Amino acid sequence: MPILEVKDLSVFYGKEKALENVSFSINKGETIAVIGPNGSGKTTLLKALIGALPSEGEIKTEKEISMGYVPQKLDVERNLPLTGQEFLNLAQTDKEKTPYTPKEMIQMVGLLPQHMRKSLSTFSAGEFQKLLMGFALRTRPSLLLFDEPTASVDVGGQETIYDLLHRLQDKEQFATILVSHDLTTVYRYATKVLCLNKTQICFGPPQEVLTPQELEKLYGGGRRFYHHLHE
Amino acid sequence: MNNFFAEPLFIFQLVAVALMGAAGGMLGSFALLRRMALVGDALSHVALPGLALALLFHFNPLIGALAFLLFGTTVIWAIEHRTRIPVDTLVGVLFVVALAIGTLLTPDVELLEALFGDITDVSLAQIVWGASLSLLIIALLLFLKSKITLSLLSADLAQTARLRPHLLEFLFLTLFALITSVGIQFAGVLLTGSLIIIPAAISRNLTGSMKTYVFLSALLGGAGTVAGVIIATATGLAPGPTFILLLGSIFFVSLLFKKNTA
Repeated sequence: MPILEVKDLSVFYGKEKALENVSFSINKGETIAVIGPNGSGKTTLLKALIGALPSEGEIKTEKEISMGYVPQKLDVERNLPLTGQEFLNLAQTDKEKTPYTPKEMIQMVGLLPQHMRKSLSTFSAGEFQKLLMGFALRTRPSLLLFDEPTASVDVGGQETIYDLLHRLQDKEQFATILVSHDLTTVYRYATKVLCLNKTQICFGPPQEVLTPQELEKLYGGGRRFYHHLHE
Repeated sequence: MNNFFAEPLFIFQLVAVALMGAAGGMLGSFALLRRMALVGDALSHVALPGLALALLFHFNPLIGALAFLLFGTTVIWAIEHRTRIPVDTLVGVLFVVALAIGTLLTPDVELLEALFGDITDVSLAQIVWGASLSLLIIALLLFLKSKITLSLLSADLAQTARLRPHLLEFLFLTLFALITSVGIQFAGVLLTGSLIIIPAAISRNLTGSMKTYVFLSALLGGAGTVAGVIIATATGLAPGPTFILLLGSIFFVSLLFKKNTA
């Protein structure tokens, strides 16, 4: 029984169709990677799933599932006089009871206690994304939507965002839909791949759908990606 | 003209401008979270045709200004959420056009006051109205601070927290229009934006947490407007520009102590 089932989803920006005919489903604990060129509708899909963009078609969920969302880090203004704790406190505006305190959220995503008092403007990109992840996981969601995890490793050999994602997924058993540019990680982490280019190009396990032919169809002569895969 | 402090009306005025300054500063601290400062500044220009019509047809100028501001607010909000036109450009053009229309409509003798304000020329009723509205704005902002912050920070995150970010944003813009309608008495159509922008801009340079940022913005707004009125009254200068020069200088000094660099 899938926790989320999407059928013939189309998303519009005004009259312009940003995405059409997307159909896929995700089971408990699964990880789906959404890939596609820039402007292909990856972020649009996530935004439609959380209800921030109007869409047509069906988005069926198992009862009322809770979704966590980690936006692209550039979408959130960061040069602000707001501490890590104050940011996480904003989660308390949620109508659902939040099972974690900000302190527990900070620990959960591998940040340090001093990040509670630090201003967001002093967070590194990786740290900020971990904070956003803590925020997204505040309601123990059964589905996490993650827009472009940072590939970069922070100083001091901290765990990467992917290691963290994996560790938390093992612990909390949530399913993940992640947007990624990095095909190596897609191979390593994703159980299924959804390829988009304004419409759905492919959907299935990475070994089956990420063929050079499909990638060429998706990216248009994706020699660079083909090469990357065999590194 | 001398010994203003003996006049009860002057004391009331000081209390009212303090509240107005505090409300403006506090609102500004939220507005600057989303770089809304310039949109808000342009918004104040739209009040001028309203003022002008009120002067021409002899009804309360505040009502004229407020009606046009609420209309302007709705336009900004609709542009942002119903179209894909870049907000800044359209708002910029639209509101300068409003300013031009207002300038042509406003009787010459009133124009200077409408553009730059004069708090020393207001009635007790206006003072009471301004003070109550300012208190209401402060109360609403304090009550809704987390929800508004999250909505302004990221509408998408607010959406996942089951808030209604677009509605909250509309409410916020309405508060913006309300404080502008009050501020116009003090700083006029052209300079009212300063009440909202400058205190928060200083505070943003000096603070690292939301709590101190909002508090310092309100404090600077309140203290700054009071100081502006007292200095202006003592020297015969206009209070709006005096306030701006005073807080503007503090802003430049605050750059030297800037906490956050990005």
